[in-house]
Amino acid sequence: MGIHVDMVEKKPCIGGKMAQLDKTFPTNDCSICILAPKLSECYRHPNITIYSYSEVQKVEGQAGDFSVELHKKARYIKEDACINCGLCAEKCPMRVDDEFDRQLRKRRAIYMYYLQGVPAIMTIDKENCLWFTKNACRICEKTCERDAIDFDQKDETIQLTNVGSIIIAAGYNLIEDIEKDTLKNYGYGKFRNVVTALEFERLECASGPQGGHIKRFSDGKAPKKIAFLQCIGSRSNRVKQYCSSICCMYTTKEAMIAYEHNNNLESYVFYIDMRAGGKGFQSFIRRGASEYNIKYIKSKVAEIKIDANENPIVVHEDLDRGTINEMKFDLVVLATCIIPPQGIEKLSEVLDIELNDYNFIKTTPFIPVETSRNGIFTCGCVHEPMDIPRSVAEASGAAARAAEIIRGGF
Amino acid sequence: MSFEPKILGFLCNWCSYAGADLAGVSRIQYPPNMRVIRVMCSGRVDPRFIIEALELGIDGVYVMGCHIGDCHYLEGNYEALTKFNMVKTFLKLIDYDERIRLDWVSASEGVRFGEVVSIFVNDIKQLGPSPLSGDNPDIDLLDKIRAIKSAIGSPRMRALVGRERKLIEEGNVYGDKIPEARYNLLLSQSIKEEYERHRILLALENKSQSVKNLALDLELDPSKVLEHVLVLKGRSKVDFQEIIKNTPIFMRL
Amino acid sequence: MTEEDTRIGVFICHCGSNIGGLIDCEKLANYAGTLNNVAHSEDNLYTCSETGLTAIKNAIEEYNLNRVVVASCTPRTHEPLFRECISEAGLNAYLFNFVNIRDQCSWVHMKDPEGAYKKAMDLVKMGVAKAAKLEPLEMIKVDIISKALVIGGGVTGMSAALNLSQQGFKTYLVEKEEILGGRLNSLYKLFPHDIEASEFAKNLISKVSNSKNLEIFTSAKVTGIDGFVGNYEVQVNQGDSIQNVKVGAIIVAVGSSLLDPKEFYGYDGKKVIVQHELEGVLKNKELKSKNIVMIQCVGSRIDERPYCSSVCCMTALKNANIIKEQNPQANITILYRDLYTIGVAYEEYYRKVREKGVLFIKYDPDKLPKVDDNQIKVFNEFIGDDMLIPYDLLVLSTPLVANSDNKELAQMLKVPTEANNFFLEAHVKLRPSDFATDGVFIGGSAKWPVDITESISQGYSAASRASTILSHDRIEVEGATSNLPEFNKNLCTGCEVCIKVCPFNAIKKNEDDEIEIIEALCKGCGVCGATCTNNAIVIRHFTDEQIFSEILAYGGGS
Repeated sequence: MGIHVDMVEKKPCIGGKMAQLDKTFPTNDCSICILAPKLSECYRHPNITIYSYSEVQKVEGQAGDFSVELHKKARYIKEDACINCGLCAEKCPMRVDDEFDRQLRKRRAIYMYYLQGVPAIMTIDKENCLWFTKNACRICEKTCERDAIDFDQKDETIQLTNVGSIIIAAGYNLIEDIEKDTLKNYGYGKFRNVVTALEFERLECASGPQGGHIKRFSDGKAPKKIAFLQCIGSRSNRVKQYCSSICCMYTTKEAMIAYEHNNNLESYVFYIDMRAGGKGFQSFIRRGASEYNIKYIKSKVAEIKIDANENPIVVHEDLDRGTINEMKFDLVVLATCIIPPQGIEKLSEVLDIELNDYNFIKTTPFIPVETSRNGIFTCGCVHEPMDIPRSVAEASGAAARAAEIIRGGF
Repeated sequence: MSFEPKILGFLCNWCSYAGADLAGVSRIQYPPNMRVIRVMCSGRVDPRFIIEALELGIDGVYVMGCHIGDCHYLEGNYEALTKFNMVKTFLKLIDYDERIRLDWVSASEGVRFGEVVSIFVNDIKQLGPSPLSGDNPDIDLLDKIRAIKSAIGSPRMRALVGRERKLIEEGNVYGDKIPEARYNLLLSQSIKEEYERHRILLALENKSQSVKNLALDLELDPSKVLEHVLVLKGRSKVDFQEIIKNTPIFMRL
Repeated sequence: MTEEDTRIGVFICHCGSNIGGLIDCEKLANYAGTLNNVAHSEDNLYTCSETGLTAIKNAIEEYNLNRVVVASCTPRTHEPLFRECISEAGLNAYLFNFVNIRDQCSWVHMKDPEGAYKKAMDLVKMGVAKAAKLEPLEMIKVDIISKALVIGGGVTGMSAALNLSQQGFKTYLVEKEEILGGRLNSLYKLFPHDIEASEFAKNLISKVSNSKNLEIFTSAKVTGIDGFVGNYEVQVNQGDSIQNVKVGAIIVAVGSSLLDPKEFYGYDGKKVIVQHELEGVLKNKELKSKNIVMIQCVGSRIDERPYCSSVCCMTALKNANIIKEQNPQANITILYRDLYTIGVAYEEYYRKVREKGVLFIKYDPDKLPKVDDNQIKVFNEFIGDDMLIPYDLLVLSTPLVANSDNKELAQMLKVPTEANNFFLEAHVKLRPSDFATDGVFIGGSAKWPVDITESISQGYSAASRASTILSHDRIEVEGATSNLPEFNKNLCTGCEVCIKVCPFNAIKKNEDDEIEIIEALCKGCGVCGATCTNNAIVIRHFTDEQIFSEILAYGGGS
């Protein structure tokens, strides 16, 4: 539209959760393939400035004329010099749990957040770098042929002025990121063959920690019978009461992909209500049942036990038949609840906007992009769990409203 | 010195070329035999490109595009597929269809890219060098390939394969949908016909001759040759040159 | 330009040790210098650095270069950079070619340096051969009419039109009924906030009517559309008068229709009714029934109509809630298959309605409920037997279906519809508000059944997408498009196969019966060029000549 946009992202690269997905429903096309062109478009667009590894720390003013102060963390890399050749990472001696790969793999202290990430610049993780923790090493600096390492780099404070409107698209976290205890009954963190859906996604991914060949963590064997448990932490009186919206669909997607990797796979989905109302979603579920050997059991799961070989046993009530059963599986995948992103409370204070009872951003009834403050808009999962088509449409919608302010129609 | 095949690859910018780049970024190692021509869409790959490469003695041709349904240009890879299948059908006529391959490789399949290229290189190694490469190319095969090149570039073949998807999916101007099986039959019949006709045309370019001679030379049924010649006459591609002892001699126009 | 005039400069990049560590770049540069048409070659440490770029610019001047080839990483990241560089030196940006000797060579053949070098040589030779055939190209400029047309005056259309007009674009809103509002006019309350639809409609319609930049046509229909992105001419019929409006973008917001329920469950409009008839009864406070049964998924999620209409569960819950408010003693039973109440607000609403004592009984699509005069029989697996539910009102939750005239409008706009006759967007995920054809956009139930909240969101989204075009007087599109050059017009037989294969509807036959490629819509995929029966079409920057030259350079005999 010809309006300049400053994009602030707290991680070293833009892309969000979509970059972590293997495939996306309902077309099962490769997630990063359709995302990557958008990432480069953003990066190269003359009207977009990306502030990565940065966060908003102060907002003043009003709609049409905000002043925003950013805190830009130092990457200790000269952004103009790094060409992302990766030689430094090869030499780095530190091994750190890789957040992008859901702690299923190790990365180095100097690292690329993910291979296709934008900006394509390395980052040094201060908390784990030997120079910052023990005043030693600096091998990366010696290895870099472009002289791109700069240990003297400082965090920056950046002032953005004349900001007409603000859009919050801060995304989400999953319940296991913050409230792991709620998953105790399901053995998560205790049993090796119980994983979360996003972990399973990384395992299925060709560029993930297992190269797309799913193997159990207990014995390295490929699972032949997988249980997918829905509504973990959601639609629950004890944890979160709301529905996480996307899990019914992504579970069938994950089971389909797993079946493509192994035609002998049997998948069981333990669900309460099968929610597939979007375009092409019903046909997707039907195909799952008829072509991908997925069985759907309307049920409520009480707990997971294990046998002597660490095979998980799903103890559940079959809601159609009213019986209590136990079923043994090779692997259990938990469809965990979407929760507001970490730091949402602080962000809402900085922006002076209201959150609802669940800490998602509160929006005007019927106008999902409007927050409680004029000139500040929102879109995507930060205000309600939703799938990619809705997020994209809302993002465009928020842009339209933001543009209205800037063109004077407020 | 073992045989190192010369492979030509056509990679589409958005998926397969990106997948190849990802293989690079991930340092996936694979044999260096393939040279890549970048196109925006696999649908750009004209059948003539593939035949030209084979005619020049290139040992293998690999066309790669986006997975069906993922094409950046929505339907380009469907067109790539129909064209490639036509090329394959032509080459099957002369038992030379194993040196070409079509695959879908997405932008995230770096590892797979390395794998499929390695497999293709190996497969071509097993086939040995192209009979059209080196200092002594197989003349007979060359004639056949040239006939295919000429047939594949003809308006009739291009129209048949260009219209294929629309006729099968939406139907003709009267609203009749052509069943896929029937279209495939029609297409393979036409391919055989045009191949034979263009062989005749090329033979007549060399030397004007009779139907009987052509049939002997090209190892075709004389009545079929006559049929073809008459069609070609109708298209004003050939005509009578003279009659020698009751035998008409035909020439290329 | 003759062969002798072609002066190519070749720049081999070391990329530090990324390429230089495996491939002898100096030797490769020397080799490049031996190739036909190469006037100058050199190797650089980092061609993309300031030093490297300056070296290119200097060489262009010093050696009078008119084509540039850089052999380094990958065009997917660096081509724009080098194109810009040679533009700054006075060369047309398209006279540049990129050879990939890192991502697809030095990085992947580390165990075979000799093989990698041979490959690099061939790639450079091919790159130079193509470069010799490159032609200067211009970005295509398209003038834009900064006005918009919104077809459909329901909540989606109104939201889109309001937003566009507030942004300053003159907008025409065409509505086929006498009044604006669409389905809002027949609803009672809106979930999940239980606001009265008439209030909501009144508010929105008043904003729309008072908006300065908005011209509204009611009782009107679009009867003809001509043109392409930025330049549409639309015919609007209003009663006896016909008006032509010129706009730059069009938004389709024609909504959906209600399924005719007559074949389901003995529908009679009195004892067996549909949800929207129930709304009318509740609005007029005329409900006398005490035992109400609702059946979900009537006519949806079946073979004939496999989709879920997404709004019916919430509609049933909303109406059940209203019934309970009007008559707390009423017995309400909802027979469902899966209850669709996603997200935060809707799940909360579901709980609220359950807590009010509404009964929910699941039914199996293979064992449909049977409706007698006074009771409904539904098989329950839990008890293994039929349940008998007395009723004096049966309400059927039926799906939204596509309008019967969608196909007609789709043809006018040259946009596709899908299996259920809803409009088909460009990409389900990343372009949900666009059509594949530039300049036309979509939102609301015309695309897929959605509720009010999402309709508004999609209305804004379509407006947003439209404004990316309308905000400019002129847009520039990629110059590497398809083209039917003057000198090839005699080759064109008018067979129209190109029109059939173009995924973007960018080719048409004009008034003179000639094939015309609408460059503004062409995305440069090249399918038409590969298909053209007489090889009349030229795909710029990926011409037959250029590609054949690459094949020849490799195959030998060049």
